Amino acid sequence: MTQWLVLSVIFVPWLGALLLALSSDRAPRLQHLVASAFAVVTGLLSLCLLPLVTERTVVSVAAGSVFGNFTFVPDGLSVFLTVIAAVIGCLAVIFSIDYMHGEAQLGRYYSLVLLFIGSMTGMVLTSSMLLLFFFWEMMAFCSYALISFYNDDPKAVAGGMKALIMTQTGGVGLLAGALIAYSFLGTYDIQTFLAYAHRLPEFALSIMAFGFLIGAAAKSAQVPFHTWLPGAMEAPTPISALIHAATMVNAGVYLLARFYPAFAAVPGWTTAVVVVGVLSAFLGAVMAITASDLKRTLAYSTISQLGYMVYAVGVGAVYASQFHLMSHAVFKALLFLGAGAVIHAVGTRDMRQMGGLGQKMPFVRNVFIIGTLALAGLPFVNGFWSKELVLEEGLAHGPLWAYILMVLGAGLTAAYSLRMVYMVFYGTAKKEHHVHDAPAAMRTALAPLALGTLVTWLLAGWLSELLTGSLPYHLSHLHAPGTVELIVDVLTAPATLVAIVVIAAGLLAWWYRDLFASLSKAAALPAAMAGADFGFEWLNRVIVGSTLLAGSVLRLTQTGHLSWNALGIAGGAIAVLGLLVWGS
Amino acid sequence: MYYSNAILTLVVTPLLSAPLIYLIGRLFMRTGRAGAASNASQLASLLALAGTWKAYIDIVLQFNRSSATALRYITGSVPLQVDGLSILLAGLALTLGTLVVIYSRMYMRNEDGEEKYYAMLVAMTGAMIGLACAADLFNLWVWFEVMALTSYLLVAFYREQKASLEAGVKYLVQSAAGSSLVLLAIALVFMETGTLDLYRIGASAVGTPLMLAAGALFVAGFGVKAALVPFHTWLPDAHAQAPSGISAMLSGVVIEAGLVALLRAISALMAVTLSWGVLLMIFGALNMLVGNLIALKQTQVKRLLAFSSLSHVGYMVMGLGIALHAGTAAGATGGVFHLINHGLMKGLAFLAVGALLYALHIAKGSHNPLTISDLAGAAKRYPLATLALSIAVLGLGGLPPLAGFMSKWQILVAGVQANNRLIFYLVIFAALNSVLSLGYYAPIVNAVYRQKPSAAVLNGSSLPLSMQVPMVLLLLAVVVLGLWPGLVQWLTDPAGNAIMATFGGY
Amino acid sequence: MFNEMNVLMLGILGLFAVGLYALLAVRNLIKIVVALQILVKGAIMAFILAGKINGHMQTAQSVALTVIVADTMVAVIGLALAVQVKRRLGTLDVNELTSLRG
Repeated sequence: MTQWLVLSVIFVPWLGALLLALSSDRAPRLQHLVASAFAVVTGLLSLCLLPLVTERTVVSVAAGSVFGNFTFVPDGLSVFLTVIAAVIGCLAVIFSIDYMHGEAQLGRYYSLVLLFIGSMTGMVLTSSMLLLFFFWEMMAFCSYALISFYNDDPKAVAGGMKALIMTQTGGVGLLAGALIAYSFLGTYDIQTFLAYAHRLPEFALSIMAFGFLIGAAAKSAQVPFHTWLPGAMEAPTPISALIHAATMVNAGVYLLARFYPAFAAVPGWTTAVVVVGVLSAFLGAVMAITASDLKRTLAYSTISQLGYMVYAVGVGAVYASQFHLMSHAVFKALLFLGAGAVIHAVGTRDMRQMGGLGQKMPFVRNVFIIGTLALAGLPFVNGFWSKELVLEEGLAHGPLWAYILMVLGAGLTAAYSLRMVYMVFYGTAKKEHHVHDAPAAMRTALAPLALGTLVTWLLAGWLSELLTGSLPYHLSHLHAPGTVELIVDVLTAPATLVAIVVIAAGLLAWWYRDLFASLSKAAALPAAMAGADFGFEWLNRVIVGSTLLAGSVLRLTQTGHLSWNALGIAGGAIAVLGLLVWGS
Repeated sequence: MYYSNAILTLVVTPLLSAPLIYLIGRLFMRTGRAGAASNASQLASLLALAGTWKAYIDIVLQFNRSSATALRYITGSVPLQVDGLSILLAGLALTLGTLVVIYSRMYMRNEDGEEKYYAMLVAMTGAMIGLACAADLFNLWVWFEVMALTSYLLVAFYREQKASLEAGVKYLVQSAAGSSLVLLAIALVFMETGTLDLYRIGASAVGTPLMLAAGALFVAGFGVKAALVPFHTWLPDAHAQAPSGISAMLSGVVIEAGLVALLRAISALMAVTLSWGVLLMIFGALNMLVGNLIALKQTQVKRLLAFSSLSHVGYMVMGLGIALHAGTAAGATGGVFHLINHGLMKGLAFLAVGALLYALHIAKGSHNPLTISDLAGAAKRYPLATLALSIAVLGLGGLPPLAGFMSKWQILVAGVQANNRLIFYLVIFAALNSVLSLGYYAPIVNAVYRQKPSAAVLNGSSLPLSMQVPMVLLLLAVVVLGLWPGLVQWLTDPAGNAIMATFGGY
Repeated sequence: MFNEMNVLMLGILGLFAVGLYALLAVRNLIKIVVALQILVKGAIMAFILAGKINGHMQTAQSVALTVIVADTMVAVIGLALAVQVKRRLGTLDVNELTSLRG
C-alpha cells in the first residue's frame, strides 16, 4: 500500500506531464482541466501519505552495476515536504487556469509544471543519493524550462540559462559528495550513510559536507550563488510562486537538514552554514528594500527568508528550520500568487507604476496583507512564530554577531514589507489602470493559502511529532516542542521582545522615512551597492565573459588550413611519444 | 564449432552485399521509373542488414552461453574473434546502420547516385563489424581502411557542393596520413616481435624505443579517426558537411570504432609503458575542454553537434583511462556505456537535425547550413523532430532521466573510486564540463520552442514517416536507458571486462 | 656500411621525411595525394625491413601487397576529389580550401 502511494505521488504527475506534452494546444480548456485534475489528485495522494509515515525503506529496486538500489523512504521530513510540494503545486496549477488563460503552448507549460511536481516529491522521498541527484537535476531542468517559458523574450532566455548553469554548477558539489559516499560505503543509501558517516576519513567527510553546502546554496539561492533567483522572475508568476518561492528553492534547506547529523561534527561546517545563512538573510533584505520590481522584491525576500532557514540548520535547530520552511512556503506562495493577480490585472511588475490598487482589488489586498504580516513576522500569523523560534534558537546555540545581524535583518524585512504593500495598494495611483479583482480560479488558490498563513502555526506540535517519530538520526538535533509548549516558549522568551522591538523600529523607520531624508546621502552608497547586487553580478559576468572569450580564442585554432591540421597531427604524435617515454 | 559460421556470416554479409546493392540499384535505374532504383537499393540494403542481424543475434546467444571471454575463429590467414567489446560495437553499428538506411529513404531521394550511397553505407557498417572482430593488427588496419574508404565517399557525397568537397579533401588527407602512421607503427611492432597477433604481441612486448615509437604512432594514427585533440581538426568539417544520416553514423559510431581500434592496438602494447592511463585521461580532459569551449560559439547546428562529439569522446577516453590507470573495470564499463549512449543520443540528434534540415532547406533544393536561428519556433510545425532534438541534446548535456546522465555517472563513480586526488579533480572537471556543455545545448531547446517562427520554418515542408520512425525508436531508447540503465548491462559488463582482459588480465 | 638493412632504414626515414614535409608545406592537392602515397610506401618498406630482420618475409610480402591495393584506392578517391575540386573551384591550391573554419 505505502509503496504504491509513494510511487504514485511521483508517477501520477509524470503521467499527467506525458499526456499534456502529447496534447494538442488547440483544446486549451481540456488542457487546463487535465492539468488541474492531475495536480489535485497528486495533492490528495500526498495527504494520504501522512498517516503512513515510516522510517523503513518501502520501495527498493536494484538498478544494477554502480547504480545501487533505487530506494524510497517516506519518513517525516520527506512526507512533510511532499505534502508542501504537492499541495502548493495543486494550488499553483489551479491559479494558472486564470493566469495562463489564452496563452500559447499550454501543453508545454503544464507538462513541465507536473514534471516538476513529480521530481520534487521524488527528490524528497528517495533515500538513494543517486536518485536525489537525479531528481535534483530534473528540478533544475524544469525550473530552467519554465523560466524561459517565454522564449521570445531574451531576458527570459538569459534568466533561464543563468538559473540552469548556476544551480548545475552547485550540483557538482552534491555529485562529488554522493560519489565519495558510494566509493567508501558501497551504497547510496542515505540512512546507511547517516549511520556510518563517522567511518569515513575526515577529509572525505569534509569534502562531502562542503560539497553539499555548495549544492544547497546554489539551489536555495544563497550567497554567493543567489544571483540567479532575481533573473528567474521572468517566469510566469505561478511558477515563481511554486518553484522559486515555495518548493524547489527549499531543496537546499532540505539537503542540509537531511544530512545535518552526519556533517555537524565536521570542523568549520556549521560555522560556514551560519555565515551563508546570515549573509543571505541580511544582504537579501537590504536588496529587497531598494528593489522597485514587485517580483524581484519578493525574490530578494525569498533569498533572505531562506537565509533564516539555513541559519537555523547551522545553529543546529533542524526543527525550527523546517517549521519556518512550512510558514514561508505558505505565505510566500500567497504573496507571489497575490502579486501575480496584481500583475495580471495591471500588466506591469514595476511598483512605481502601481499605487492605490487596494480599493479596486480588495480581495487581493486583504490576502496580500495577511501574507505581508507573516513575512514581516508580526504576531500572530505563522511567520511570527517560526521566525521567533529561529531567532530564539540562534541566540541560544549560535554566535552573538550572527544573532544581531539576523535581528537587524528582521527589522529590514518589516520595513520592506510595509513599503511593498504601501507602494502597491495605497498611496496615489500613478497610472490609470482598468483593473479587476482576482477571478474565481485565482481566488480558489489564494483563499486556502491566506487561511493557511493564519493558522499553520497551530500545526507546530503535529510537525514535531511527524519529525521525531521517524528520524532516528536527527532526534538529538530536533529540539521539537509541542504547540502549547511553542506558544509559551516564544511568548516568554526575551528574544521575542527584542525582535518585536526591532521589527516595530523597522516599520516606523519606513513610515517616517522623510525624517531620515538627511541620512539619504549616507544611504546612497549602500543602496548603490545593493542595486549592483554587492558585486556578485559583476563576478558572474566576468566568469561568463572569460569562458566565452576562451571559446573565441580556441576557435582560432580551427584555421581550416590543411597544413596546419597536419602540423597538429605531427606535433601531437611527438607530445604523445614524450609522455610514453616518461612512463616507460 | 557452430559459431564459426555465424562469425563469418556476420563479417562477410554486409561487405559482399554492398556491390550487389549497387548493381541492383543500377539495374532498376534502367527501368527509368522515378524512385525505382532507390527503392530497390534501399530494400536490398535492408535485406542485407537483416541477414547480418540474424548472424549477430546468433553470435550473441552463442557468446552468452559460452563462458569464454572471446570466441576465436581463424579462416585462412584472417583471425577473427568475438568478445564483449566486439559485440557492443557491432551491435551499435548495426543498429545505427539499419536506422539510417530507413531514415535515408526520403532524405536522399532526388540525389544522384543513391545506389552508391546505400552500398557504401552497408559496406561501412560491415567494415565496422569486421573491425570489431579483428584479432590481429594487420586485419585491424585493413578493416579500418575499408571503413575509412567508404566514409570518404560518403562525406563527399554532395560532390557539387564546395563545402562538402572541402570537408572531404581534408578528411581524406588527414585520415590517410593517420592510417599511414598506423601502418608504420604496425611495421615497427612486427619488426620487434615478429608477429601480428594481438595476444602474442601482448605477451612479448617490452618498452624498447621502437615499441614506444609504435605506441605514439598508434595513438596519433587512430587518434585522427577517434578525434582526439589535437588530431581532430577534420571532424567538424566532415561531420557538418556529410548527409545527415552519415553524420549520425560518423559521430555515433565511426569515431567510436576508431577508439576501439586504438584500444585494441595499444592493449597489445600495454606493458610498454606505464603512462597509458594518464595519456588517455589527458586526452579526455583536452577533448572535453576544447570541444565544449569551441561549441559554445557555434551558430550552425550540425557543426555545433560535431564539436560536442569531441567532448563526448573525451568522456569515453577518460573512463577508459581511469580503468587502465586504476586497474578496475568500472571505468571501462562506464566508458563503453557512454559509447553506446553517445551513439544513440548523437545519432538521434543528427537524425533530428537532418529531418529539420530536410524540411527547411533540402526539400527545397537548398544546401544552406541549418543555423540555430533557423530553428526558431520549429516546435509548432515539427513537434516530433524538435522533441527528439531537445531530448537528444539534453541527454548529451547529461540531464536525467536521459541516457547520458547514467553513463556519465558511471564514469565519474569509477573516477572517485580510483581514490586518487588528481583523478578526483578530473572528475570535478568533467562534471563542470558537463554543466558548461548545457551552455550550448540549452539555447537549441530554447530556440525550437519559441513562439515566433523563423522564415525558414514558415516555408518548411512536411516530414515523411520514414524519418520519423527511426527518431521515435532512438528517442525511446534514450529515455528508457536513462530510467533503467541496467537494461544494457549484458552489453557493457562483458565489454568492460574484455577491455580489462586484453589489457593484461586484471 | 651500405648493406641492405641500412639502405632500407634510410629509405624508410627518407620517404617519411619527404611525405611529412610535403603534407606540411605543399599546397597542390595532387602533390598532397602523392605525398600520402610516399608515406605509405615508406611504411611498406618498413614491413619489408621487418620481414628481413625477423625472418617472416612471407607475412611481410602479403601485407605489402594488401597495402598496395588499399593504398591505390585511397589514391583513386583522392584524385577523384581533386578533379572535382578543380572543376568546382577552379584551383588545386589547398590554401583556397579554407571556407570551413572556427
